[in-house]
Amino acid sequence: MIEVGRLCLKIAGRESGRYCVVVKKMDENFVMVTGPMELTSVKRRRCNIDHLEPVMETLNIKSDAPDSEILKAYQRANLITKLGLGPRKAKAAKVEKKPVEKKAEPRKEKPPEGKAEKREPKKKPESGKAVKRPAAKKAAKKPASKRAKK
Amino acid sequence: MPRPSLRSRTLRRIKKRIPGGASVTHYLRRKPSPARCAVCGRPLHGVASERAAKMKKMAKSMKVPSRMFGGNLCPSCARERLKEMARKNV
Repeated sequence: MIEVGRLCLKIAGRESGRYCVVVKKMDENFVMVTGPMELTSVKRRRCNIDHLEPVMETLNIKSDAPDSEILKAYQRANLITKLGLGPRKAKAAKVEKKPVEKKAEPRKEKPPEGKAEKREPKKKPESGKAVKRPAAKKAAKKPASKRAKK
Repeated sequence: MPRPSLRSRTLRRIKKRIPGGASVTHYLRRKPSPARCAVCGRPLHGVASERAAKMKKMAKSMKVPSRMFGGNLCPSCARERLKEMARKNV
């Protein structure tokens, strides 16, 4: 089942859940494997057969083929869209663009709100001062009355 | 006799020998229970179980294994789930 060009899912380790291609047979237990890195972020490395789950698809590649040839083989087999792999850079670019647009809009709206909020508190301190002033007057009066009593 | 609030067993006790030579009991909050696999229920290795304040300070890689389903499933259950995914997908 596991031969050169076989597409596999990695089952164990940090790369588990990612697709890879068998590039070369090392011995009974080990094979050489790549994603390639750009597509599925699986490094070209030796891998235990127990850590691979073969998938029905195969790629038409020679043994020990470079990553560029494997990418072409992916495109020929139309596997990139079928497996939902897609170029990661494009996805990342889309994600980056959206928040920038969202941020730009609220910035325009926010400043007037902020100003409105700032205006309101300005009025409050005035009222506060108005309250304080009479209190201060009372305070000023009280000692005077006390003095008068004395 | 400790403070009345420390007499309950909600706090865990640790005996410490202080520099003066006397042994003292320190009262600490208990840790949360260890994380368990969502399928088989066995305790997970490599998943930190600390109080929230300590968990906030820790890096993500210190709290959870960087595997798929890390911190949720044990490795053997994760492997079986991935096998199912491989057979369904293509």
